[in-house]
Amino acid sequence: MSTIGKRSTGGAVIPVRKRSFFRTLGSQWQLMLMSVPIFLYVLLFNYGPMWGWITAFQDYKPKLGLFNSPWVGWKNFEWLFGREDFLNSIRNTLAMSVINLVFGTVSSILLAILLNEVRVRAFKRTVQTVTYLPHFLSMVIVVGMAQNIFASNGAINQMILSLGMAKEPVFFLGEGKYFWWLVGVINVWKEVGWNTIIYISAMTSIDPSLYEAASIDGAGRFQRILHVTLPGIKSTFVILLIMNIGHLMEAGFEIQYLLGSSVVMDWSQTIDVFVLQYGISKQQYGVATAAGLFKSVVAIVLLVAANSIAKKLDEATLI
Amino acid sequence: MKKVISFLLALAMVLALVPAVMAEGAPEPITLTVFRGDPGDQPADDNKIYKLIEEEFGVKFEFEFLAGDLDETLGLKIANEDYPDLFDGGNSADLLISNGALINLLDYISPEKTPRLWAHIEPQKARLIEKDADGNDVLYIIPNYGLPDGPQIALTVGGPAFFIQKQVLEWAGYPTIKTIDEYFKVLEDFITANPTDENGTPYTGFAILCEDWRHFCLINPVQHLMGRPNDGEVLVDVSNTDFHTETFIDKPYAKPYYKKLNDLFHKGLINKDTFVMNYDQYIAALSSGTILGMFDQAWDFGNATSALNAAGMYKNTFVALGPVYDPADVDGKEIEEHYLNGSLPNVRRGFGISVNSPYAERIVNMWEEMLSDKWQLIFNWGIEGEDYYVENGRLLMTEEQYNNTQDNTWIMHNKARAFFESSPKKQGWIMDGEFKGNCWEPGNQDEIVFGLMNDYDKKFLEAYGFSKFADFVNPPIELAPYGEAWQIDYTPVEIEHQDFLNIQDKRLPEIIMCDPAEFDAKWDAFVEEITPSATAFGNYMQEAILKEAQKVLGNE
Amino acid sequence: MTAIPVKKRKTHRHDVVFPVVNTILLILLMFITLYPVLNTVAYSFNDGTDALRGGIGLTPRVFSTKSYAAILEDQAVYQAAWISASKTVLITLLNLFWTGMLAYTLSRREYVLRKLITTVLVLTMYINAGLIPNYLLITRTLGLGKSYWVYIIPTMFSCFNMIVIRTYIAGLPDALVESARIDGAGDIRVYWQIIFPLCMPVMATVALFVAVGSWNSWFDTYLYCGGQKQLHSLQYLLKMKLATTQASANAAKTSVDAIKSTTQTTPITIRCAITVVSTVPILVVYPFLQKYFVTGMALGAVKG
Repeated sequence: MSTIGKRSTGGAVIPVRKRSFFRTLGSQWQLMLMSVPIFLYVLLFNYGPMWGWITAFQDYKPKLGLFNSPWVGWKNFEWLFGREDFLNSIRNTLAMSVINLVFGTVSSILLAILLNEVRVRAFKRTVQTVTYLPHFLSMVIVVGMAQNIFASNGAINQMILSLGMAKEPVFFLGEGKYFWWLVGVINVWKEVGWNTIIYISAMTSIDPSLYEAASIDGAGRFQRILHVTLPGIKSTFVILLIMNIGHLMEAGFEIQYLLGSSVVMDWSQTIDVFVLQYGISKQQYGVATAAGLFKSVVAIVLLVAANSIAKKLDEATLI
Repeated sequence: MKKVISFLLALAMVLALVPAVMAEGAPEPITLTVFRGDPGDQPADDNKIYKLIEEEFGVKFEFEFLAGDLDETLGLKIANEDYPDLFDGGNSADLLISNGALINLLDYISPEKTPRLWAHIEPQKARLIEKDADGNDVLYIIPNYGLPDGPQIALTVGGPAFFIQKQVLEWAGYPTIKTIDEYFKVLEDFITANPTDENGTPYTGFAILCEDWRHFCLINPVQHLMGRPNDGEVLVDVSNTDFHTETFIDKPYAKPYYKKLNDLFHKGLINKDTFVMNYDQYIAALSSGTILGMFDQAWDFGNATSALNAAGMYKNTFVALGPVYDPADVDGKEIEEHYLNGSLPNVRRGFGISVNSPYAERIVNMWEEMLSDKWQLIFNWGIEGEDYYVENGRLLMTEEQYNNTQDNTWIMHNKARAFFESSPKKQGWIMDGEFKGNCWEPGNQDEIVFGLMNDYDKKFLEAYGFSKFADFVNPPIELAPYGEAWQIDYTPVEIEHQDFLNIQDKRLPEIIMCDPAEFDAKWDAFVEEITPSATAFGNYMQEAILKEAQKVLGNE
Repeated sequence: MTAIPVKKRKTHRHDVVFPVVNTILLILLMFITLYPVLNTVAYSFNDGTDALRGGIGLTPRVFSTKSYAAILEDQAVYQAAWISASKTVLITLLNLFWTGMLAYTLSRREYVLRKLITTVLVLTMYINAGLIPNYLLITRTLGLGKSYWVYIIPTMFSCFNMIVIRTYIAGLPDALVESARIDGAGDIRVYWQIIFPLCMPVMATVALFVAVGSWNSWFDTYLYCGGQKQLHSLQYLLKMKLATTQASANAAKTSVDAIKSTTQTTPITIRCAITVVSTVPILVVYPFLQKYFVTGMALGAVKG
């Protein structure tokens, strides 16, 4: 067993590895025992249903099933991409995803660092507990509150008016240009504490002696954050970033559906909302699957790109 | 070990047989699986009505209620052919029928075999019994509502109307409002004289709820201003049997209404927040009494009325009015007001029996028995002495008993709501027997309606010389042969219909808020944008309405 | 952290200002995030009809426990809570078991199947064949519908959590594994005896993710067990309660209802009471997990 370990650190000679692939595999039976069952499980549960993707090329009817539904070629895709509002929903999806990604990542890392600097343990735990609570509120509740706060006579507008920053109340909820940003802000409000957990737990693996050493070297607080804390969570950050880049086609639908209204439809409609409106609830299974397939393909392209950039930069990679 | 198991199995089988043997004479006990296309509470295990059903019919129920999207749920059940015995497809029962999930009930229903059921559907059989692809008579679903006995009961406007706070009319000296101009004028006059309520909160003259499917508040009024009851998104000419049908929102006669709204907006009677308001905010605004008027359907804001009454703000509750266009708006044409329609069978709504069920005959026979006066009283009123009492041949409830019927927790123990709501039922008047002249539904019984009415409302009605709130509008007109157009299935043009709705949702608020100088241009652009989808939808509806009408007229 | 000897540190100006600013910032943040929570609690204890008028802040305007009564008086809630709790515990344990082991194997650079398995697993996060094929797999092919196991078996593993654990393991010193190997330990032993105990912070994190996800899920009940009331999960039941309240609020009102007010519950307060009822158990369990990832482990000791 110890030879394997050595090989891994030594960067094995290629011919050797080739010749002995199955022998190596055999000697790794313990690793296989620990991983292959789940691998097969995933093949069954996640890849098993993938036959469903062929409905993207069908006019699928549940009653007829997969084998008897008529084939329509690329028609579902043509229909989707022929619609201006679908293209628009791609733009909205990407815009809101990017805003969410940037806001979400920055805010949760910032909070994690601030929490990490707290020395009083009880205070740290209290702040951490309180900030993650909104995660458990349903989106309906949070959006409802946000709508009251951002209404023409809501708290934000009253503040703006009393500070003299504007003469008229700002129509936050009725003008498209504010919509994406509102979604970003609400998501941060609701999820910042929850998203922080992963970074806090990553910080626990930072060796305390590193802080000690930095202090002895005369590093101030900001330098310690910069040279110890941030490098300590870098791989977590990079991995999450790669994963989230793959998820850029998912901006959700709940918040947009709740916060949006017909007057901001051009900015609020995401791919998922579109599919819900024209695909699923209209029994257009083929169209819904086509949109899903399109999303998956784009996701995989983005993922592979992000992953190989990370590899080039010599950072942690997902795959 | 094996022996022990087989012994236990044998024992279990014997035990399972015992009750069946003991209940000799009673029908073999069965459990019916039920799907309801609406959300609902599981009845409590000790529910007294289900206990009665089990005793008399040997039937227990296993309910599944709608938890997610209806079409999605039905789609999954169809894909898996996993059907319950009793299948209520809610709004989308068409899916069940077109996928062959339901049996033809006419195999079990006939004047001889099931006289009560037959008598129940007979008056509307032209609307209910359809022809299948092979030309056979078929009936898949017995409507759960809308087959009442006796003259139509219309105590209030339960559906669409222009609503106005009672205090506005009181302030204006109880005027009679006939046109939309008069309606807006009285709102404007009131708000000019009283810009804020007692607490200093500014009044809003007119609210328009636009949220999701409730956008009917924005897009439906024109048909009523043109003198028709609710046909959804089309206007039908019922003066002859051509039933000319068209979408109304893109027609010249729609323009004056939105022009008036544009005026109101610039006069400050409409607040722009109205277009981004969600339903909770709308109800909150209505409940706090600061919105003076709106177009809506009465059931859509019943909660707000409750809240106002609970706070004693009777003058802020609403009365339904039926304004129409002034002749000046429509080339001098006089329009007769019709907000109330004749009673309408809830076609394709309610229980069907699935093709997988082995109990079809038993279910139909149970319904037949349940249409007896005895069972209808149990379902509608409950158990005498517990849930209601009888005085001089009148069915009555104490206030507490009546309030119980509104309490979901009480209902779980004491009503067979989940089953009865989707089952065939009697409504309207009790036509014979010892309770002749009473109403089947407690909520329509005179003593209950007027016994619980508050003094402000009594005074208000008196001032107009009316006996009921429905007197503010004309009595119901006769139901058109095609029924009401919103009931018609438009699956084949669903995509066009969704476009048609989206364009209205998006453009109408813009038009209402736009600079008056741009109004005409905006309106023309709107008409141009919506014409393709409107035409596709309108043409489809024209055909569908003729087909529906043919069913009724062809048989007469 | 107390190990840092104070005397040896050079005092920076930041060291005085920063903690103060930091504390103020965090307290401010607590207010912002606590407000919606307290507001929800206030609504949940408010009279339903009164709450319709909105405008409730941090305390109820008309106190009432009727919304809670409407939820908790239904005996089915307790059965559903049991189903939810038991499936949450089972799923969490199974997830930690499988996901942790898998994460370990995929952190071993020498594992020849590493690349293949990782790629196949990662892609599952981005592909979704749609509802119907999944549904048919579970109900038809596997026959799991209408049984308790439909809660457990399809959710035993999550790739996201695996990646989180793998990243954590990758951050541990390689020497730990190496030295154990030299002592002749196989991978199974290395994982369970050395790596797993060091992973408590990330295991607690993943346990939290899985448990919260499972506790809050209702969709599986909706898809597979809607007709089996003895298998209803708490969230499903609560969601149904809300939907029923909404439906009866919208239902065609007969003449009387509009005239006479009743003391019925309303969707607004029910929704808030539901949130509280389903969140309190999480809050009770939370500190036990939190201590692992907030406090951390004395890793230095192991390393030394």
